[in-house]
Amino acid sequence: MIDFLQTTLTSFVALIPVTLAQSLILGFVVAGIMIPFRMLSFPDLTSEGAFPLGGCVCGVALAAGLGPLAAIGLALLTGFIAGCCTAFIHLRFRIHTLLAGILVMTMLYSVNLRIMGRSNLSVFGTETIFDWVPFVQPGFPLAKIIAVGVITLAIFLALNFFFTTEKGTAVRAVGANPVMAEAQGINVWAATIGGIGLAGAFSAFSGALMVQSQGFADVNMGLGILINGLAALMIGEAIVGKATVWRQLLAPFAGAMVYYQLVSLCLAAGMPPPDLKLATGAFVLLMLALPTLRAARGRQAAAPRESFRE
Amino acid sequence: MLEIRAARKVFYRGQPDEKVALSGLDLTLNTGEFGVVIGSNGAGKSSMLNAVSGSLALDSGQILINGDDITGLPVHKRATRIARVFQDPMLGTAASMTVAENMLLAELRSKTRTLRHGLNARRLADYRDRLAILGLGLEERLNTRVDLLSGGQRQSLSLIMAVGGSPDLLLLDEHTAALDPRTADIVMEATVRAVEALKLTTLMVTHNMQHAVDYGHRVIMLDAGHVHLQIGDEEKADVTVADLIGHFATKTDRMLLAS
Ligand SMILES: Nc1ncnc2c1ncn2[C@@H]1O[C@H](COP(=O)(O)OP(=O)(O)OP(=O)(O)O)[C@@H](O)[C@H]1O
Ligand SMILES: [Mg+2]
Repeated sequence: MIDFLQTTLTSFVALIPVTLAQSLILGFVVAGIMIPFRMLSFPDLTSEGAFPLGGCVCGVALAAGLGPLAAIGLALLTGFIAGCCTAFIHLRFRIHTLLAGILVMTMLYSVNLRIMGRSNLSVFGTETIFDWVPFVQPGFPLAKIIAVGVITLAIFLALNFFFTTEKGTAVRAVGANPVMAEAQGINVWAATIGGIGLAGAFSAFSGALMVQSQGFADVNMGLGILINGLAALMIGEAIVGKATVWRQLLAPFAGAMVYYQLVSLCLAAGMPPPDLKLATGAFVLLMLALPTLRAARGRQAAAPRESFRE
Repeated sequence: MLEIRAARKVFYRGQPDEKVALSGLDLTLNTGEFGVVIGSNGAGKSSMLNAVSGSLALDSGQILINGDDITGLPVHKRATRIARVFQDPMLGTAASMTVAENMLLAELRSKTRTLRHGLNARRLADYRDRLAILGLGLEERLNTRVDLLSGGQRQSLSLIMAVGGSPDLLLLDEHTAALDPRTADIVMEATVRAVEALKLTTLMVTHNMQHAVDYGHRVIMLDAGHVHLQIGDEEKADVTVADLIGHFATKTDRMLLAS
């Protein structure tokens, strides 16, 4: 027993820096999941397609000799467009947001394959943004932690600023009550398309960083990212809360860091990797079911945990 | 000034359950005038207000505000000139946002939204003053989420949000109907005070005949999608609840005969 704990702990601790670098990168896709769900009440699945889209675009761009920044820029742009498409499909054709997201995600799979021309692509050895971190050896987790940590901080501050500006408050109003927002002169279409586009760009950004970090792109790299991201988001919200704008914005980044360490711990303890999705799904289900379960034990009927626009 | 010209709207056209909501409705409301709209259920009162606000697209006809044709404009563009309070207290405010944030959204209704910080000290002080007028203590709860307020408090907040910035037109659709009698009185009193003080051009729908008698410059009675009767000026001063109900009765009789 002691032996088991000791090996688990040593392999977990050894992996902490690698996992931290990975979780910082994936924090952006969690933010790309949080913005539609929480800021716009627009449950969205686009991230599952936008994440590999960003990765594939970045991979192809790097392979074609573009610089790492230009490759990320292209990834951001395509992710933004993907998000805009989902929002437009929902608004224009009155298709449920989840279905609109599934449509875009499914179509993106083919698009991603077309972009790469094959199912995976190695870009190992090309220059990445992690090579630019001063004083640390490139290729080591520390370089990634510093680079992505700085970007995360900058983006968190920028988001925090934006959502308290006049424009940002208007975007939040669209999520809170679209009828009221419209009556207050807010262009609901523009805010929704822009907001979901931004979320798509975040997911693609995460994918692009991941490709630069791991040295290859793969069309299947987004498989299950949405449920992982939701789990991370819920952990984040449980830790930092979501009552104020900055807490809500911090939740995805904090949640990603904790969630991926937990996953690493489970793996270190010997959980077979194929079981991971089942465990994550069960965890998300439990978090969603918790209010109903609590209510059943005594108090009156619970309000549904999630309420969204149709 | 508001002008509605020959407004027509038919739901489910050509189907067995075809409903004529507006059948060539004409109405002119002068600048600074307070019109009280009455009429039985289904007379087309809400349809008329929705057509003016833009949430209901007309089949034909025109809507003009201060001489500008706004018939083709979407809701959010019209909102720069039109403010409204909904019947449902939940509809008029953003529940998950604070009182101050809701006030900010309303203040920006007729302005361009910038990338500057929204809730600055000057604005918060202004909101405090404006909410204090209600006497409900909302001025002390600027950072409270709106979903923690009662229906009456929310509706009062909606009203203050709507009258701020002196809109060209104020639309009130049974905005006290969902409230208990005492709160309804508070909100109605605040409404009348604001409308008179700011000389707002106002259309108010009500089923309360006493309100129709007591408030406003003109009573506008709708029936079957058009203006059935208007009582203005001197005549309005002498009208009683019984008179108004009498007009309903004739209409009902006629409907009975027609059917
Ligand atoms: N969205 C809609 N779809 C179908 N029919 C509608 C719709 N909105 C209104 N109607 C119909 O149009 C007619 C006018 O309705 P409206 O809501 O304008 O009446 P109202 O005078 O506001 O009545 P109330 O006093 O009950 O609020 C009614 O016959 C109604 O059934
Ligand atoms: Mg009505």
